[in-house]
Parts: sequence; C-alpha cells; structure tokens
Amino acid sequence: MSETATPDSVDSTLLRLRGVVKTYDSGDVPFTALKGIDLDVHTGEFVGIIGKSGSGKTTLINMITGIDHPTAGEIVIDGTPVHRLGENDLARWRGRTIGVVFQFFQLLPTLTVLENILLPMDFCHMWLPRERVERAMHLLEQVELADQAYKLPAALSGGQQQRAAIARALANDPPILAADEPTGNLDSKTADAVFGLFERLVEQHKTIIMVTHDNDMAKRVRRALHVTDGEITEERVYRPRHGA
Amino acid sequence: MRAVRWRKVFRDLVGHRFRTVLVVLSIATGIFAVGVVMGGRAILTREFDAEFATSQPKNAAYFTMPFDDQIVRRAAEYPGISAAQGRHSAGYRYTWSGSDAPRSLSVVAYKDYANITVERIVPEEVLSWPPHRGEIVLERAALQTGDYKIGDVLAVETRSGKTENLTVTGFAHDINAFPAQFVGGETGYVSFDTLPDIGAQESFNELLVSMKGANLTLREASLLAASLQRDVLEDSGVAVLGVNVPKPGSHFLGDIFKAVSLLLLALGLLSMLLSGFLVVNTVSALISQQIKQIGIMKAIGGRASQVTWMYLGMVAVYGVLAVILGVPAAQFAGKLFIEYAAGILNFRISSYAVPGWVTALEVVVGLIVPLLAAVVPIRLGTRTSVVRALTNTGVNSAKFGHGLVDRALGLLRGLPRPVALSLRNTFLRKGRLLMTLATLSLASGVVMSVFCVQASIEQSVDDLDAWWRYDAQIRYEQPVDRIGAERVAAGTSGVSAVESWIGAAAVLDRPDGTKNETLNILGMPYDTTFVGPKLLAGRWLEAGDKDAIVVNTDARKAEPSLDVGQRVSLEIGGETSTWHVVGVVTGQLSGPVIYADREVLGSFIGDQSVTQTLLKTETSDPLMQRAALDRAEARLDEGGYRVVGARTQAELRDSIANELGILVWFLWVMAVLLASVGIIGLTGTMSINVIESTREIGVMRAIGAQHISIYQIFITEGLTVGFMSWAIGAAIAYPMSTGLTSLLSGAIGIPLSYRFSWSGVVTWLGVIAVISFAASLAPAFRASQVSVRDAISYE
Ligand SMILES: Nc1ncnc2c1ncn2[C@@H]1O[C@H](COP(=O)(O)OP(=O)(O)OP(=O)(O)O)[C@@H](O)[C@H]1O
Ligand SMILES: [Mg+2]
Repeated sequence: MSETATPDSVDSTLLRLRGVVKTYDSGDVPFTALKGIDLDVHTGEFVGIIGKSGSGKTTLINMITGIDHPTAGEIVIDGTPVHRLGENDLARWRGRTIGVVFQFFQLLPTLTVLENILLPMDFCHMWLPRERVERAMHLLEQVELADQAYKLPAALSGGQQQRAAIARALANDPPILAADEPTGNLDSKTADAVFGLFERLVEQHKTIIMVTHDNDMAKRVRRALHVTDGEITEERVYRPRHGA
Repeated sequence: MRAVRWRKVFRDLVGHRFRTVLVVLSIATGIFAVGVVMGGRAILTREFDAEFATSQPKNAAYFTMPFDDQIVRRAAEYPGISAAQGRHSAGYRYTWSGSDAPRSLSVVAYKDYANITVERIVPEEVLSWPPHRGEIVLERAALQTGDYKIGDVLAVETRSGKTENLTVTGFAHDINAFPAQFVGGETGYVSFDTLPDIGAQESFNELLVSMKGANLTLREASLLAASLQRDVLEDSGVAVLGVNVPKPGSHFLGDIFKAVSLLLLALGLLSMLLSGFLVVNTVSALISQQIKQIGIMKAIGGRASQVTWMYLGMVAVYGVLAVILGVPAAQFAGKLFIEYAAGILNFRISSYAVPGWVTALEVVVGLIVPLLAAVVPIRLGTRTSVVRALTNTGVNSAKFGHGLVDRALGLLRGLPRPVALSLRNTFLRKGRLLMTLATLSLASGVVMSVFCVQASIEQSVDDLDAWWRYDAQIRYEQPVDRIGAERVAAGTSGVSAVESWIGAAAVLDRPDGTKNETLNILGMPYDTTFVGPKLLAGRWLEAGDKDAIVVNTDARKAEPSLDVGQRVSLEIGGETSTWHVVGVVTGQLSGPVIYADREVLGSFIGDQSVTQTLLKTETSDPLMQRAALDRAEARLDEGGYRVVGARTQAELRDSIANELGILVWFLWVMAVLLASVGIIGLTGTMSINVIESTREIGVMRAIGAQHISIYQIFITEGLTVGFMSWAIGAAIAYPMSTGLTSLLSGAIGIPLSYRFSWSGVVTWLGVIAVISFAASLAPAFRASQVSVRDAISYE
C-alpha cells in the first residue's frame, strides 16, 4: 500500500479517498478489485491513472464519480461524503459536481448533439431554460462542434462524438471532470486534440481525473498514478508544461 | 416540449415506430376486447330488459275453450291482476313459394290491436297496421328462417281442408313470441275477421294476465293464477286445457341470455388480464432495451424519479394513443356484435349508447392498467445502479447454464446450430417467455375448451337420437281412434312401423297446495321400441304397472317432489289421481315430461284415443323421411284424421341444435378475441426479441449467416412458444371445458353431456402452428434486414 502524501495544505484538497476497498461478489468467488486506496487530489490538478488491463482503473474512477459504491472506505469530494449518499442524492450531486466522460462516448442516440448537452442542465435545473441553449452552443464552440449542433450522434465521427461527450460533461460547469479512457477509441491525432482540450480546461481551473492506457498521454499529465492489482504502486509528478 | 428529457421521450416514440405501433396495438386490443364484451353485455342486457319490461310480460297464460270479452273484463278486475288480454291463437300448416315443404304457422289474432295490454307487439315495417282481412303480419324472426317479402302469399290449410291465401303485409316484433328459428315455425298476426276464413271461430282461446307487484315470486304467481282460473274461468264454465306460469320477470330466452352474459363477463375479465400481461411484457422489454440509456442519464445527473417519470410519460402516451384507437374501434365492433346478437335473440335495440362506466373501464384498461403494469419494470430499471446499467449486455448471460431448462436444452445436441441458438434465445428471456406463454396458453385453453363445449353440445344432441327410435311425429287436432289412424299411417309407402301415444296436460298439486305450470304426460306402451330411455334412477315402466310414472330430469328439476319413490297428485283432464314415481330418465332438451303406460293413462282419462302417431321410416335420409311424413299426413287427412303438427326428428334436432348454437356462437367470438390477443402478444414478443438481438444478429451476419438461418432462428422460436402453449392449453382445456359445460348447463337449465374434443385439440395444433409461423414471420423479416452496420451502431 502506498501513501500519497501531498505537500500542499489540507484545505485545497478537493477529493479525498481513504482506505477504499471494492470487492465484486458477482463472480463465483468474491474478487477484490481495489485493496484500500488512499488518494488526495487538489483543485486544478490533472491526474492520470495508468495501469495494465484489469488492474482496477475503471473500478477506481467509478468510486470517484459515485457510479459505483465502495465496499469499505471513505470518499469525500468537495466536502461531500460521497460514500454515504443514496442513488438519488448521488445523481443530483454528480450532475453538478462531476462531469463524466465514457470510453464509448455514450451520447443518447435519439437526441441531437445540442440536446445531449442540454439534458444534464434539464435534469439538474441549472440555468434558466433560455440561457441553456446559449451556454450549450458556447460549450460546443469550445470543443469546435458548433456546426454539428443539430446532428444526431450517429452522424458524427468518433472524435466528434467524444468532444460532444466532453461538452456534455461540462454542461453544468462541474469543478471536476472524470474520464475513463476518453481517447481509447480514437486515432492518435484525434486523441491529441481531445487531450489538448483537457489541458485547456485545466488552465480554466477544472480538476481532471483521467484513466488512460496510453503512455505518451500519461507523460503529458501533471500527476500520474500507477495502479497495479488494485493498489496505487507508483506516483510520478511531472513539471507542468506551461510552468507554475 | 421544452424540457429536453421530454424531447427524448417524444423522439423514442416516433423513432421506434414499429415498437410504438406494437405496444399501442397490444393495449388497444385489450381496450377493444373489454369494450366490445363489457359494452356489448351492458347494452344487450339494458335493451333486453327495457324492451321486455315495456312489452308488459305475462304472469300467466291459460289455454282454454272459446270465451269472450266478458271473461277478459272479469279477469282484468280480479284482485291482484293488473291487465288481462284475450286472443285467439292456433297452429296451421302453410305452403309458400320460398319453401318446398309445408311449414308450421302459429296464427295469432287480437280483436283490438291498438289496445294490447299484455305482451305488446311493435309493428316494424308494415303496409297497414292492424292487418286487414286476408292479410298477415309476420313476427320478424321469420326473416331468420326464410326470405319473406311484403306481398308474399302464404297458402294456409284451413280446418275444413280448404286452402286460404293470406298476403304478407309487413313485419312486427313480439319479444315474447318464440323466434321462428328455434321452433321451426313462423308466427303471424291476423285480424279477427280473418279467423272464419281459415276455419276458426271469432273468439278467444288464450287468456294472458299480468299481475300487480314488483317482486312477485313464482309461488305467489302460481297461487293467484290458480284462484283466477277457479273464480273467473271455471266459474263461467270455460274449460282450461293448460296453464303456463313462468317465473315472474323471466323471458323464455332468459336462461340462454344469462349464460351468454356470463360468458361475456368471463371473457371481459380474461381479456383484461391478458392485455395486462402484454403491457407488462412490452414495457419490461422496453426498459431492458433502454437500460444503458437509463444508466447514462443517471450518470449525467438524472435522478431515478426523473427518469421514472420519463418512462411513465412514455407509457401514458402509448395509453392515450391506444384509447384514441381502441375506444372508437370497440364502439364500432360492439355495435355490429350487438346488432347480430339482438338479431339472434330477436329483440330490438333502441339505443346503442355506451354506458359511461364502460367507457371509463376502457380508459382504465388503456391508461391505468398500463401505467400500473409499467411501474414495476420501470422502477426496477431506473433503480438499477449506474454501473450495472452501463455494463448491461441485454441478457443475463451469467445465469445461463444453471437452470433445469438450460440443462435439458444442453441435451439437445443433435439440433442444427441456428435451431439450437434460437431455443437458447427463447429460454434466455425467461420472464418474457413466461408472460407470452401464459397469454397464449390461456387463449389456447379457451379455444380448445370452446371446441369441447361444442362437442359436448353435439353429444347432447346425439343423445337425443339414442332416445328417439322413431323418425317423425304427427299430432292430431283432436284425439283420434288409435287402430284406425295407425292402419292409415302404416299403409304409407316408406313407413316401416307406427306407434301412437296419448299426450295430455298434467297439473301437479304441490304438497304446499299450489299448482305448478303444466307438465306434459305421455302415455306409451310400457314395452315401446320407439324410445330408448336412459335411466338415471329407479326403473322404466313394466307390465302390470297400475299407477307408475317415470319422469325426466327436467321434470324433476322443475318439481323436486317428482322423485323416485314419491307419490304425487296429478290433475289430468279435470280429474285428480295419485301416481307413483318409479324412475328418472335423462331429459330430451325439450322440457319436463312424465311417462306412463298408455293403457293405464287412457283408463285414468277415460278415453283410449291417441293424440299423436310416431313413424319409423325405411330410410335415414332426412329429406326422404320428410317425404314419407308428408305422404302419411296426406293419407291421414284423406281418412279424416286432422293433423296439426308433423315434424321429423331430424328437423327438431336441428332446431334444438340451433338454439344451443347461439351459445357456441358467443363462445367462438370469445375464443377468436382471446386468440387475437395471444397472437398480438406473440408477435410483440418476437419483435422485441429481434430488436434486442440486433447486435447478435449483426454479428451473425458478419460471420456469414444467410437470410435463411436468421429466419430459421426466429421461426423456430415462434413455433416453440406456439407448441408449448398448445400443450399447456390442451392440459387446461379439460378442467376449463368441464367447468364451462356445467356452467352453461346450469344457466340454461338443460343437462348437457360432456365430450372432450380430440379433433379440436388436433385442429388447434394446426392452427397454432400456422399462427405462430405467421406471427414470427414479420419479426424474422425485420431481423433478416439487419445489416452489420446497424448492429454495430445500435444502442
Ligand atoms: N462486475 C464485476 N464483477 C466481478 N469482477 C469484476 C467486475 N468488474 C471488474 N471486475 C474485475 O475487477 C478487476 C478490475 O477491473 P477494472 O474494470 O477496474 O479494470 P481496468 O483496469 O479498468 O481494466 P481495462 O484497462 O481493461 O479497462 C478486473 O480483474 C475485473 O475482472
Ligand atoms: Mg477499464
């Protein structure tokens, strides 16, 4: 087990995991995918989670987003004890606090790109209805998709769909963005563009936690966590590209 | 639709048109079935009751020697009597261009058609009302037996042997007349001055009375009828030949009507249940199809309650569409159904207005039932945790390989690959399979039960043949000398044997002092070979019997005192005598009858003259039997033996079968409706399976599956469900049909024999094979159209 002590003061800690264990019971024998994770992430950090397939990366990020519940341990994000929330409160909290980006984009097929971005605002009652479209268009401009706003997801390329999904994750202006292999299904050039987008978001003081396979990508994040068999085995902190 | 989530609901509805149509159709079918059945039942009952009540039904009818207005007036003033009506009624035979054989005609004459106080008649389509001399207005049920037209001429054989022509000048409706199709003879109305033309006296021979009191019991009615008979009729010297006191407020078709109404109720409830199944099925499928999207929505901030409302909203839209479609459809079909049913039962519908509660019920079935049915699957879906929803693969493949069924399937190694695959599919979706199976099995059970009920009715009619060992019956106007009449009848070519019976009306003096309505007593040789009695208790008549009678089950049912070992008092021809019940035989579907030895009965009456002669013929062909009967009748006429009725047993059998046929008709309506619900259910399930297996199908295509294999998969699946429901249905058909048969026989008051219909079971096997094949064809076609690209882009 590795302690990840941080030099910064406790006050700036946005996200804190303590002794998080996840055991899956669905197989023939219970399988412990996370074996007591301790982790602190500060506002404005760009954290990469890397590791071999099956090491527990997805499990870990699902704990952070509240998509799945830990078997034991504490998860406190922005002062909220996530592990204690019920499904409903969790959904509302997540909608406002964490933008989730999936590997397979997961846009709703019957809604246009614009509507997909409006949906989280609708669910969480964010902004006045007439401001929503304006905001969504602004987000689409940010991801360079303004001209695709009225298309259905099926008519978009993979990279475009992933950028739309990122715009959707940003819809409610959450402080945290969590992405599970967001570039896993993209070619290297498109992946690069998505990564660039993340870097710009970090500059805007978003906190990003991203799972990746890609070692090149991993080198570009400020802080890389290596997960092996459900434990964080190594942590590397790179010098920020644009200086401190 | 400002909120984006409602836009998603709308897009899903429009985008998945096929699914929307399917779900809406499923719900609409439920509305339709419930609407037609419950609405039909409510309207039929309402209109029947209303018409019957306004007709001013009789509480008693007396068949008498001639009497006049004086008696009618006295009867009307008798305490407890609200109205009295005299009329003349007599049976004739007539020929008509529309029929080869002579037919029976019951002629009824009123003095004053404008003031009929009991059993009112409604003119429907008449040139002149009341009829003039030489004219006849037919009861409209005649139109069910022949193509009668205004202007047709009926050649009526008069009492004096001449022929008198009566012109049909219209049709009237008399809800109290026996419909022509049941009695094998028409009813017609003539003016009083026509009576002498057809050889009858201008006097009354029937007195109908209705009594005061809303809740009159049969006992009260019988008592009052008996005292009226004594104080008015017999006091004035009018001999009463027979009395009929029906159960107050009941129509002679009331029992059949009750049975029909019961069937309709059962059908209505069943269809509600089945449409509920369909909705649960389709909604669960819908949710399992959308489970990933539900996961995404929850991952981006949608609360379970918000997502739940979205899907409930969707179901509500289905419901509203189904109501818009189903309610008018039910109203339209319901009207046809009611028209037809009212035609058969011979009553008029003055309003087709659907009662408010029926419409409300339709809305409940269309909206509330689907919403209630949807709540559970929707809640299950929206409560699924986000991880589970996102990683959901559509089927719970982890569980496969554990169940008993799965293991059994593992044994079927020899099957072709696509067939094995489709069987695996069928059982993978166990919940849906169960629902579909339940729906289709119930429908199959009902259909096969209907076959069995029909077979049982046929069996009961066949039992009549076992009873009747003769082919035709001739009734005389007046009792005739037996030896003479038999000699004439026996000399007819084609007739092989004759026997004559004495028929009389008998009134049972009940132990409580009341009298019952008239029973028929028949005197026949104790060793007759003309009937084959089926004894239920005691024994048949024997040589040396002095006061023995045998009763049939109908008589025992009507009068419980008529049971083996009982001594009863019977009033026959004005004389009271004591008899001893020695046996009970099965009824012949034609009411209560008492049997006695001919000689014994003759000596009780003091007259050995016979009232009817029975013929055995040399042929089994009904038409040849009819011809022989006509020849015998002609010879008897020539010999001066006046015949009032002549019918072959084949004809009687047909008319009884006709009456019971009404029930079978309603049963078939019921079966067809349920089968349709089942078929829509199966098609729906198959289509949902196709939609759900889109990815799987695409993958199979990608690895080289041909159209034919895809068809094979889905058709095998459909046929499997079809055959399974056939087997389950056949198993439930036995208890269901025995129950239904005894229910019916209880309702119509006729004991029916039971017969299981193996041929029905086999027939339905064929039909269900075709149906399940057809039901899987459209889904299979859709499946074969799935391209690899569709499959991979499918969400
Ligand atoms: N629902 C589950 N039931 C049982 N075991 C599971 C379940 N989900 C994941 N696992 C197991 O937990 C371990 C971690 O899985 P996880 O999905 O977190 O891996 P990962 O690091 O994301 O791998 P990849 O890079 O392939 O996505 C794996 O060994 C996996 O088999
Ligand atoms: Mg993973």
